[in-house]
Amino acid sequence: MTAATDDVTGNDLSSSRRPALEAPSDRDAFAKEFRRAHRRGLRRAAWLRALLNVTGILLFLAVWEAVPRLGTWVNPVLLPPPSVVFDTFVPMLLSGEIPANILASLRRAALGFGIATATGVTAGLLTARIGLLHHVSEPILHGFRSVPSIALVPLSVLWFGIGEGSKVALVAWGSFFPIWITTFIGVRDVPAAYLRSAACLGAGRLATLLLVVLPAALPMILAGLRQGIAVSLILLVAAELSGAREGVAYMMSTGHQMFRVDIMLIGLVLLGTFGFIADRLFVALIRRLFPWYTTAS
Amino acid sequence: MSGPLIDFDRVSQIYAARDGSPVWALSDVSLRVEAGEFVCLIGPSGCGKSTLIHLLAGFLKPTSGAVRFRGRPLDGPGPDRGVVFQEYALFAWMTARQNVEFGLRMQRVSAPVRRRRALEALDRVGLRHAADRYPHELSGGMRQRVAVARALVVEPEVVLMDEPFAAVDAMTRTTLQEDLLRLWRETGVSVLFVTHNIDEAVFLAQRVVVMGAGPGVIREDLAVDLPYPRDRGSAEFGREYARIAAALARGSRGTDQSDGERRAA
Ligand SMILES: Nc1ncnc2c1ncn2[C@@H]1O[C@H](COP(=O)(O)OP(=O)(O)OP(=O)(O)O)[C@@H](O)[C@H]1O
Ligand SMILES: [Mg+2]
Repeated sequence: MTAATDDVTGNDLSSSRRPALEAPSDRDAFAKEFRRAHRRGLRRAAWLRALLNVTGILLFLAVWEAVPRLGTWVNPVLLPPPSVVFDTFVPMLLSGEIPANILASLRRAALGFGIATATGVTAGLLTARIGLLHHVSEPILHGFRSVPSIALVPLSVLWFGIGEGSKVALVAWGSFFPIWITTFIGVRDVPAAYLRSAACLGAGRLATLLLVVLPAALPMILAGLRQGIAVSLILLVAAELSGAREGVAYMMSTGHQMFRVDIMLIGLVLLGTFGFIADRLFVALIRRLFPWYTTAS
Repeated sequence: MSGPLIDFDRVSQIYAARDGSPVWALSDVSLRVEAGEFVCLIGPSGCGKSTLIHLLAGFLKPTSGAVRFRGRPLDGPGPDRGVVFQEYALFAWMTARQNVEFGLRMQRVSAPVRRRRALEALDRVGLRHAADRYPHELSGGMRQRVAVARALVVEPEVVLMDEPFAAVDAMTRTTLQEDLLRLWRETGVSVLFVTHNIDEAVFLAQRVVVMGAGPGVIREDLAVDLPYPRDRGSAEFGREYARIAAALARGSRGTDQSDGERRAA
């Protein structure tokens, strides 16, 4: 067996310095140097990216600060600059008001999203693998899916009250659908060659499901979960605005009643940060758990 | 064991076309393969070669006739019949080693034994060094080697290969063919190998089954009596090549004229 050539991944080092790979020690040294250069390149790219990210944020803040101060056509009460917002933010943070609200919102979002993940993935798997179940559930599921989830806010309050139940239920309801539908499509479209390979290697139903179908559908499932995170946030806000005693959106609505735009802006920034961090954490987690996934697609 | 390992007994396979009309993929096909034989199926596109493979793999049930394996009618896919697909069917979420281990895992072989046997199997296809790479980190030829290792590690009695080397370049293909012959002789497994390539068939097979299309039938069953390893430059090789080319031409003259270009070696 001869021709198993090691293809070297493209890298600036391979083109600029190609040493004669004679002795094995030379080769080892080259490999070590290559690896180091590769890592250095990656690190530099990551730093540059972080730097540009921060620059973008600073630019945005600068413009925001400048507009209410310089522009005479802007009412600073309606659009307070970031410095004013920050002055409101710090005491609210230190008094524990903001952390408590964040915690309340996060708990609801996480609980609802968790329920949606468990039920959505299960429903997607079952409806995609069992034809009978698919056809029976098809009209109902698609019918409900077509109703904008926001429309259920008043009903949910009637049914579950204004306590935690209605908020968690709304978040779960809204994010269930994208998770279900993407899981369904992912499982339905698992390439036949995978299923056939598994069958030829003696895999039973359960092993095929767990070791082949789920991983093959994973890219789609993860896309659904990511969408579910975004939808969770929307419903969380809708639910909290419709009546709550704590939470980030609740804080915003009290700010509204007191005509405190700075408090409302704090809420907005918090929500944006939530969404951003949740998405980034999600992507980082995927990269860690499934090394083949991000690189393959 | 008495009787042939594989026995297609007057098998017909009819698919429904989109408009509901019947498509005769195979018509009254009988074929026997003995244990340990290396048989190539060759024929124009659409003559039912893949259908034949799928029937034996157990992915399909014949519309009429019987497919028997070791004298018994088939009941679905199983590890006694390994399959190597043309397209890459390696599990993308498993490393080369985990792919090869999959079949052993299904047999509940303990993890250390599994690991050892998978590494041995990868060693036999020259890829021990690539055991921890994912399929997308392997070249096309390397992936097919892993696929062969994965099919062979569970020690099937026959390996079914549907144009397994069609997508790799000519040089890699030659090496893959040599490796396959070596593995075949080391393990004594039977091989049923589909190809479009006369050169490949003459290089590999003890028997070349020439098929014809519309409906799919077996036209001729030719023995290739050349010792291994075969020399592509020899006069005998050229003679066998010409014999199979002639059989293919005879087969397609009556029915399908348009498939000549696909047979270019
Ligand atoms: N699922 C299917 N539904 C309808 N017709 C089919 C189906 N699969 C195959 N056929 C038809 O059956 C015939 C034989 O197909 P098959 O794939 O076995 O041919 P083949 O010899 O493998 O061709 P190729 O060399 O192109 O791979 C063809 O006419 C094809 O169009
Ligand atoms: Mg085919």
